[in-house]
Amino acid sequence: MTDGGESDEALIGRYARGDAAAFELLYRRHEMRIWRYLERNVGNRATADELMQEVWFAVARDAVRYEPTARFTTWLFTIARNRMIDSNRMSRRQVSLEAVGYEAESVVAQLTTEPGVGPLAAVVARDQATALTRAIGQLAREQRDAFLLQIEGDLSIEEVATITRSSFETTKSRLRYARNRLRELLSEYA
Amino acid sequence: MSRMPPTPEQPDDVDDQYRRASALDPSRPGEAVSRTVLAYAAQLAAERAAAYAGNKLKSRRTASHAWWRPAILGTLAAAGLAGLLIAPQFLAPRAPPVAEPAPTAQAVDSTASESAPPQSAQTPEVTARPPVPVRSANLPTRATHARPKANGATAALPAQPTSVAPPAGSEAAGTGAFVAGAPARELRVPGSPSAVTSIAAAARIGTNPSAALRRAAEVGNLAALEALLEKQTDVDSRDGAGRTALMLATLHGQADAVTALLTHGADPNAADADGTTPLQAATAGDHQTIVAALRRYGAR
Repeated sequence: MTDGGESDEALIGRYARGDAAAFELLYRRHEMRIWRYLERNVGNRATADELMQEVWFAVARDAVRYEPTARFTTWLFTIARNRMIDSNRMSRRQVSLEAVGYEAESVVAQLTTEPGVGPLAAVVARDQATALTRAIGQLAREQRDAFLLQIEGDLSIEEVATITRSSFETTKSRLRYARNRLRELLSEYA
Repeated sequence: MSRMPPTPEQPDDVDDQYRRASALDPSRPGEAVSRTVLAYAAQLAAERAAAYAGNKLKSRRTASHAWWRPAILGTLAAAGLAGLLIAPQFLAPRAPPVAEPAPTAQAVDSTASESAPPQSAQTPEVTARPPVPVRSANLPTRATHARPKANGATAALPAQPTSVAPPAGSEAAGTGAFVAGAPARELRVPGSPSAVTSIAAAARIGTNPSAALRRAAEVGNLAALEALLEKQTDVDSRDGAGRTALMLATLHGQADAVTALLTHGADPNAADADGTTPLQAATAGDHQTIVAALRRYGAR
């Protein structure tokens, strides 16, 4: 991912040699993707914040060991996923997205109070946000993880399979089921 | 099955819906998270930048020094030997300089005796051997015989300064502080009429004063450095890698030595065999004080 600028791999290389500005570019480029991946998987903003910090600490710390044999985003999302799994193991409990309401209401409340968003647009946004968050929360964990990895990390099936340590066919099936289920759920909310 | 399952690699309406909704989602990581992460990353970056600059300079030195390593090792060994012998003298209070003696047979004899170990006070005096140093002023030595009278006129004496015997009964005479031909370390006793200078000591042990100057600059021995500079030692002499004393002092971060050398007219732009100037070396080593000093003296 370059955004027309320097590649992620070049930036992490520069940072490994002591260029702090390169890190900030990387962070700004990927922060929302990582944030959404974490938040929509764990369903809790505080936990997502904590994980977000740990993920980027690990990136900063291990930048010198990064070897551009894989894309930077693959490496980044692997770190994020591993941190998330570690966190789940530590807490010994899997947060139920349904149980915590997936914070959908707060998201909707923010959307409707955003300046510049008109009443109709706010309704549309609220509906979309509600539908999306609820739908994602209802996906099976493996399907949700695979779908978020692919769509937020802009990863190929092979890369998702590598990160999740699954076979290509298994990953492909998870992604297919995830999309089918989302389509069904979204059509219900529509 | 009413519909074919979508292929994940193809654009999908679900993906589009997801992206549209995500774009409208205002939730973001906490501001404190971003601040903490970026501060931590900046701290690591600063440490890495310093380490990277240090490694770069080190590897450059290593690469450029390979061909002359044997020469510099030999020079350093000689300089180190000289340093071991003469450095203690600079730690003692400085004595007034003594005029260099004319080469006489006596001086040669006396110089030869420098390498002989001190012996007991009962050593027989009149022999064909070179004079041996004694610790007691009560026994006459060959050095005392060589001089009309030990009356303090040391500057006129042709022999080694260490040959100067204190007058019998003087304070030094009874303390054992005066030792003719004894190693330099013996002259550090307070009250000793030490007149050994670095250049004389260096000459006695056959050390190149220029090498001694570079060594003194490298280790930051200001006393040795100033003594050698006062003796008109070539301040811009170079070692096998073309490095001057100024360059060596710079590479080792010896700011005081750099200032002393510049004050004595060292060339601030004297590059080494690789073309590296002292200013470049100081900048690479992040020696800001040295950078400032070099610039004051016209370094480019």
